Amino acid sequence: MNNKKSHHVLRLLLVFVSMNVIWYIAYVLINHSILPSPLAVYSSMGHLEGKKVWLDVCYSLFRIFAGVLLALTIGMSIGLLMGRSRIWNKLLDPVVYLTYPIPKIALLPVVMLFFGLGETSKILMIMLIVLFQVIISVRDGVKAIPDSTYDVLTSIGASALQKFWHVTLPGALSVILSTIRISLGTAISILFFTEIYGTEHGMGFFIMDAWLRMDYTEMYAGIMLFSLVGFVLFLLVDYLDYRFMKWRN
Amino acid sequence: MSPSRNSGLHIKELSVTYKDGQLALGRVNLSVPEHSIYTILGPSGSGKSTLLRTIAGLIKEYQGEILFDGISVHTQEPLIGLVPQSYGLLPWKTVHANINMAMKISHPYRNQRQSQEQQIQHWLAAMGIADLAKRYPLSLSGGQQQRVAIARAFALEPTIMLLDEPFSALDAVTRETIQRLFLENWIAHPATTLFVTHDVEEAILLGEKIIVMPSNKENHQVLIDNDHVFRIKHEDKRDSDDFFQQTKRIRKVIQEQW
Ligand SMILES: Nc1ncnc2c1ncn2[C@@H]1O[C@H](COP(=O)(O)OP(=O)(O)OP(=O)(O)O)[C@@H](O)[C@H]1O
Ligand SMILES: [Mg+2]
Repeated sequence: MNNKKSHHVLRLLLVFVSMNVIWYIAYVLINHSILPSPLAVYSSMGHLEGKKVWLDVCYSLFRIFAGVLLALTIGMSIGLLMGRSRIWNKLLDPVVYLTYPIPKIALLPVVMLFFGLGETSKILMIMLIVLFQVIISVRDGVKAIPDSTYDVLTSIGASALQKFWHVTLPGALSVILSTIRISLGTAISILFFTEIYGTEHGMGFFIMDAWLRMDYTEMYAGIMLFSLVGFVLFLLVDYLDYRFMKWRN
Repeated sequence: MSPSRNSGLHIKELSVTYKDGQLALGRVNLSVPEHSIYTILGPSGSGKSTLLRTIAGLIKEYQGEILFDGISVHTQEPLIGLVPQSYGLLPWKTVHANINMAMKISHPYRNQRQSQEQQIQHWLAAMGIADLAKRYPLSLSGGQQQRVAIARAFALEPTIMLLDEPFSALDAVTRETIQRLFLENWIAHPATTLFVTHDVEEAILLGEKIIVMPSNKENHQVLIDNDHVFRIKHEDKRDSDDFFQQTKRIRKVIQEQW
């Protein structure tokens, strides 16, 4: 078990090191300020004025968490409703079917028109990206729970809330987690776009600001930091999966 | 409480029709005295599961009456200990948590955590699975899961116990062990019990009376007295002459009814 884990970590490290080697070779070949050496970028990461960068990270994290949380709350409610009630499914299915294929990034200007350039539109965009995935996977996850799973609880007079808490939610949790994992990547990309305008904070702003100032070393440092934040978020989802999905094996 | 004419489970002219118009259960009449165990034998599709599910409150639309102690189970649901064929354990909860949750839901006003903990330990030990408390169901064998399901049913201290072919997926040896464990515990805590099986021997081993369901739903069920076999010590039952005679008799009834 432990051996397997350390092997996994070793492999990740190996990939990380080789990527940096490739980067370094590219840096030597190109020999231009648009691609600084990895060493310079890492050392500049250490010299970023501590507090300011953390504020940017916090802003970005807040937007992601707020958007994902909102999407989860709304998406799970709708998904549950569709999964448990045939009438609601019939009613909402065409709506989801028609709106699902719309590329959500195309809605960015619309959201900006309605909600301005501020915080609201940034969080809304992330929510929109994640929402549809959540609705569909929760609905399918809930439908996949066999009716008989509820039998013992029903026979001892469990309330609807108790059935939701003990059966529906844990039964659908696995799909919810994998949905978050998948949509998180998209959400982070969208976050970058939305942080280019209308804000003085956030990782997207930090990177674009460095770009405008032609401080490429800092720009790359920002990109690395952004990636690191994404990586940590993935680890968080992995941890949740490990914590709540122990029962699968 | 002195036993009155009304005490126990009484089913009168019960029939169930599913939404597609299919008659699943036809005109069942049945009386099970309090603290008795009856086994139900019947061909596939004769409505055995439907009968148990209706008593358990899982099927709400039916004709006829189901009374317990003279009161319709529709108005006042007695506490049910259900053991489904597929065990009915929640895979995301440990053995302990599965039992604990069911106890909390069925006895919401009881608030003695310590005695509840003792109860769980007691029943796990009684079913020979004390060491499995922290395991998840998917990591258990079928026989182990079935023991958990039975421990849970007993731990609820139910008024009515309903078991739907609980041992059908087990191998012969495991099956005999669990039959014995179940019966020992049932004798110590006899709930009013209906036990569905498709195995003639199991029906004779575990039932005070045996109900044979007909394949034609217009016909009546046949009630066969099994007390004399039931009272034989469990270890000796299988080899007894009474058991042999009873097997022959029931096979004959089955040939006429199925
Ligand atoms: N959900 C359902 N919808 C429609 N018909 C059903 C449903 N469940 C069962 N039936 C029908 O009701 C009848 C009785 O089914 P039931 O499951 O009670 O039989 P059973 O005696 O338990 O059979 P088995 O021994 O195979 O478990 C069958 O004809 C079956 O096809
Ligand atoms: Mg059945």
